[in-house]
Amino acid sequence: MITDPPSASIPSATLAQRRRLRRIMRDFHVRAFGEELARVNLLPEPQRKQAVAEMIDHARRHGVKLSRPALGVTP
Amino acid sequence: MIPYAELENFFASLVATAQARGITCAITSGMACVHFGVAATTKDCDVLCDAAKSDDFRDLIASTGLRGRFPIYRGNISPPLDARWMRGGWTSHFAWKLKSEDACLDIFGIAPRGSSPWHQDLRGIYAAPNVVAEMKRTNRDKDWPFATALGCQMLDEANPEGWLHLYDAEVLRLCAKQVPPPDHLAQWRPLLQLAPFTDTLRVKRLLLAERAFWSELDELRVRIYQKHLRPYTSAVRRASAGRAIAGVAESHALRLECALAHLPPQPLSDYGLDRMILEAKTNVGVTVGPDVSEWLPVAEKHFYGL
Repeated sequence: MITDPPSASIPSATLAQRRRLRRIMRDFHVRAFGEELARVNLLPEPQRKQAVAEMIDHARRHGVKLSRPALGVTP
Repeated sequence: MIPYAELENFFASLVATAQARGITCAITSGMACVHFGVAATTKDCDVLCDAAKSDDFRDLIASTGLRGRFPIYRGNISPPLDARWMRGGWTSHFAWKLKSEDACLDIFGIAPRGSSPWHQDLRGIYAAPNVVAEMKRTNRDKDWPFATALGCQMLDEANPEGWLHLYDAEVLRLCAKQVPPPDHLAQWRPLLQLAPFTDTLRVKRLLLAERAFWSELDELRVRIYQKHLRPYTSAVRRASAGRAIAGVAESHALRLECALAHLPPQPLSDYGLDRMILEAKTNVGVTVGPDVSEWLPVAEKHFYGL
């Protein structure tokens, strides 16, 4: 079953508040993931996926193993 | 090296095909995080699949080739992709063996720490952000910023349940200045009673306690599963020795036999969910302090489907 995201569940949020929420989110991304990843995270989806693909392929070309071990259970 | 974009398209197409055939499933974890705007550098794909459709999904996987290769069960440790074990929270692993590296797929029927039926709230081929964020409450430090980022994303979508996923004192305080958390969410996450979160040190301490609690719970959970995996893995190794296993179907039959003998389908329920929660709370009482107990989240509802 496919559903849309809940709409207007925070009815009291004004446009200005939503803008400030976005700024808080952007600042958190910079603090938690660093400027470069934050920039990638905030790209539109196609560009974001392309940037992630380039990062992953770059790491793999340089020998970084990105596969997790099979454990029989997911952490 | 097979480019990541090709891998991602391959897994997206596999899940889309499964959905078109009536198999309820969804991509979660790293690839879902990227979709929702939080870059994760994993090339493996994690998929939630309705346990009742395990046989259909296994057949589809077995017949799906990648660059001319067909998949195998990954390692001796992988439990069978069978409804009985999927309902118990086990993870099945598959790999397409390619020249330089493997393309890996992990499948589970129960979303770890899931509080709702994941299959009722899909975003196309992806699980909902709420499910993905709950799955990020692990015992690995690196996962927590992902939960907070997804929580922010949910608030941005005007979904108040995002408040359940914010694990950063500064983000909590700043968000509450814009829109306070709805009162009813505090029944699941007592820490939200501290809005507007200006008592920063207290908030930080309780966030620490919450994370320690989920971490303890995750460690216990993984330990319970792993205890049972040792005899099962040995049995699969012995049974496969000297045999040329042709593909998924043959390997599945062998694993099923070993699982019936060595792998309890419902190890968490057998152990006792309440017992697990009590042990995790007791441990947090020791590591953080006994006074935080009343501020810990309601974990009982986070074993949906078990």
